Amino acid sequence: MKSVLAIARREVSAYLTNPMGWIILCGFVIMWGIFFTIMLFGYNQAAAEAVMNPFGADQMNVNDMVVSPLFGNMSVIAMLASPALAMRLIAEDRRNRSIELLLTSPVTSTQIVLGKFLGAIGFAAVLGATTLLYAGILMWLGEPDLGVLGANYLGFFLIFGTFLAAGLFASSLTENQVLALVLAFGFNLVIWIIGWVGSLLDEGKLKTTIEYISMLEHIEQMSKGVIQTQDLVYFVTFIGFFLFATVQRVEALRWR
Amino acid sequence: MVAVEDLSFNVARGEVVGFLGPNGAGKSTTMRIISGSLGASSGTAKVGGIDVANEPRKVQAMLGYAPEVPPVYTNMTVKDYVSFAATLKRVPDVEAATKLALGRVGLDKVASRLIDHLSKGYRQRVGLAQALVHDPKVLVLDEPTSGLDPAQRVEIRNLLAELAHGDRTVVLSTHVLGEIEAICSRVIIINRGRIVAQDELARLGQPGRAVRIELARRGDEALAALRGIPGCASVEDIEGKYVVRGETDLREAVARAAVPFGLLEMAGRERLEDIYLRLTAGGAA
Repeated sequence: MKSVLAIARREVSAYLTNPMGWIILCGFVIMWGIFFTIMLFGYNQAAAEAVMNPFGADQMNVNDMVVSPLFGNMSVIAMLASPALAMRLIAEDRRNRSIELLLTSPVTSTQIVLGKFLGAIGFAAVLGATTLLYAGILMWLGEPDLGVLGANYLGFFLIFGTFLAAGLFASSLTENQVLALVLAFGFNLVIWIIGWVGSLLDEGKLKTTIEYISMLEHIEQMSKGVIQTQDLVYFVTFIGFFLFATVQRVEALRWR
Repeated sequence: MVAVEDLSFNVARGEVVGFLGPNGAGKSTTMRIISGSLGASSGTAKVGGIDVANEPRKVQAMLGYAPEVPPVYTNMTVKDYVSFAATLKRVPDVEAATKLALGRVGLDKVASRLIDHLSKGYRQRVGLAQALVHDPKVLVLDEPTSGLDPAQRVEIRNLLAELAHGDRTVVLSTHVLGEIEAICSRVIIINRGRIVAQDELARLGQPGRAVRIELARRGDEALAALRGIPGCASVEDIEGKYVVRGETDLREAVARAAVPFGLLEMAGRERLEDIYLRLTAGGAA
């Protein structure tokens, strides 16, 4: 466990001593600010109109009109940002041979992969922490449902975690970081949009399966504040699958 | 493709063994197998009686490995990197071990600098510090002096000699024959993935099997006289000196044949360089 945490801590500090980490952090903060402002002004306008229209007033809800769409947009940002975050995790180590320190130290491949993954999640937590500012603004101005807010944060981390696990696997496949980025983006896109394929199909087992694989299906309820076991299982399964595949890949590096 | 084959050797506790061979002979491959960063498709490697393939973690806990390219994270400071390595290697007191390792390889003054800003010699030392931070019983060093200038080379060589004291076992590979002569008690020469010679340094070059002479009057006449010595297998001209080889002790006969041509200097023992060149002839990949 100590080794896992040491590797994770090293990864987080690597993000913070690397321009890429700061570029992603800045981009993330800016995007979140823009989306937040748009959502809030939209809500403000709708509220002003609702004063004239009593029928619309009972539709006004800060959870449905600001929190959920905000996190929905940020999931897309997570999909775009995670390959850039994950690409260096293993590929960089292989390129500059620092992987040999890990491979010749008394740590298992599982510990290496968990450490790398936790490090990436740790940086995602730094990103997430910057958004607490906006959550604070919402709580100051209105009364968002804390349950909904919490569920959205959980969803955000599960989505980010899944994408980062996919990116970590991509990073273990090649020494070339750009290739890892492209691969990771491909994985993410498949996970994200495969549901659209499903919606074109006729009812049947294939449709059910494809729709189950699609991430969109599983964040819908969570964004409304409903945490379902089946959705948690979905995310944990995906993260577990990619981590397992990465461990196999790192193990294979010892047998080149 | 097979990198090393039929390669079998033992290293006793406390021994300092030099690994010698041309580029691509399989030195690095062998060392990586011993250190557990590479699996062998057949055969076993044991360290301290423990099979590396079966219990790599156990072996790695008592073995320090410095690859040819130091496995460093360039965006870390020297101190952070070495203490990271110490944590991975399960050192009980990380801070003390880090301090000791940095002192040993002479990195105290640059401890807070980024590895990225260090010269090649210093990076090589960081690679060494990483290998010995857990005070391993066995040190495996892959060309620890490659790319260093002569002064740095001497420093590292002294450090290695110091590390080899006591019952620490050291296996090191190098291209520099002088290094082997200076610190190793035994040498293993490999070529094309096979061992071609392994023995104690003193015994490898047998007296009289290769006699190196410098003559005042060189020429065909002298060559003919040397070739005429009974038991002479070959005469080579190496750097202006003749090297007479044979299967028996030729010293006396060579001396007698050489005197008429003005014998200036004679050495009756093969130098490591001669042995190396003879055994690895045509082996460079």
